[in-house]
Amino acid sequence: MINFDNSATTFPKPYPVRRAVNEALTRYGGNPGRSGHELSIKTAEAVYAARKKAADFFGAQTENVVFTSNCTHALNLAIKGVMNGEGHIIISNLEHNSAARPVYALSKHGCTFDIADATADDDTVAANFERLIRPSTKAIVCTLGSNVTGRITPYKKLGEICRRHNICFIADGAQACGVLDIKLPDGINILCTAGHKSLYGPSGTGLLISDGKFPITPLMEGGTGSTSLELAQPDFLPDSLESGTVNTMGIIGLCAGIGFVSANGVERIFAHETELCRQLIDGLRPFERVKIYRGKGAYLPIVSFNVDGMTSNELATELSRRGFALRGGLHCSGLAHKAIGTAPEGTVRFSPSVFSTPQQVRLLIGEIGSMRNS
Amino acid sequence: MERYIFAFPSVTIAIKAQAVLRRKGISADVIRTPKSLAVGCGYSVSAAADPGVVAELLEAEGITPRAIGKPR
Repeated sequence: MINFDNSATTFPKPYPVRRAVNEALTRYGGNPGRSGHELSIKTAEAVYAARKKAADFFGAQTENVVFTSNCTHALNLAIKGVMNGEGHIIISNLEHNSAARPVYALSKHGCTFDIADATADDDTVAANFERLIRPSTKAIVCTLGSNVTGRITPYKKLGEICRRHNICFIADGAQACGVLDIKLPDGINILCTAGHKSLYGPSGTGLLISDGKFPITPLMEGGTGSTSLELAQPDFLPDSLESGTVNTMGIIGLCAGIGFVSANGVERIFAHETELCRQLIDGLRPFERVKIYRGKGAYLPIVSFNVDGMTSNELATELSRRGFALRGGLHCSGLAHKAIGTAPEGTVRFSPSVFSTPQQVRLLIGEIGSMRNS
Repeated sequence: MERYIFAFPSVTIAIKAQAVLRRKGISADVIRTPKSLAVGCGYSVSAAADPGVVAELLEAEGITPRAIGKPR
């Protein structure tokens, strides 16, 4: 099976990640931050090393890196924690449900929200957001790049708008982190991302990284290994948002994944995957029944397309039968599919990884070409 | 060199402090905070250095110990 569904989760994982997880299972068996014995301290040091690796990679302070179970978990913490039950929030029409659903849920309990059109050119998108800001606006939540089309949003402009209006910019970096050089000083107050996508960590890993400017009220309280005589949750990061035992094995694997991305270079990975997308687009263009959903502007290495006469899930199923993993349907992004006119059937999404090759893309183009509908 | 104990609110900050001190060539180890410095759970760094020098090095990195004392 050739995997072109890396936007869902990257596979295969790099050797250093597999080795690190194996080492974690055999060497780092203590509960970090819970005891004073050597096993616990050594494990805490390994978790700290991962925290520092993520902090350096994204331009943050080490203690402001919070490990989560995925990007959805991080976005829920950030959105609900910053809003704290009141105020107005703005999202884009390219948001994944991991951002859109928490915001909608908040609207049933005292918050209000608006949706800005993020499908236009960058200046228009920025203006669309700024126009919606009210005195009660507390946050803008925006993906750094759509998980459906790959469209990169003007996040630096949005960060600047948030800075001017003193509101919190929460960025969903699930698809962008690892292929774009994302740093908090770009204007991001809270970066939420997955660890298991383009950072090549294991499933069950995610990150919330704060610049510390906006307080985040915890969604969960519990054991943190700190200030244990007090009933109140600690008010300092990362403990305030990390109740319960963390995913040590996943975190140590994620550390190796970030190291792998750093060693290969974000720019090189982006160039490699973007070239594969260009190859696919050029290869599919002659097929009359293929429609590719790309406009002007900058894109992540993701391509959404359809073949006339087949639903996206029929096409993805047929491609699976022929040995290719691509995701059909709505990609948990109903808003985005409505925005580009592909709801309710969705699209087929091609998303390569650092391990994908031009030969694999040639094979995929050949298979699509051989289908009688194309 | 006599050892001193520097208490921190979390294991993350304690390990960060340990790393700062080790980079400066100071022997430093993360330990459980002794009862003499704080009650409840917590982590400290035991360091073989002048407490004023240590506090200054940590302050430069934005780290402030919650308490400083000698081991009993």
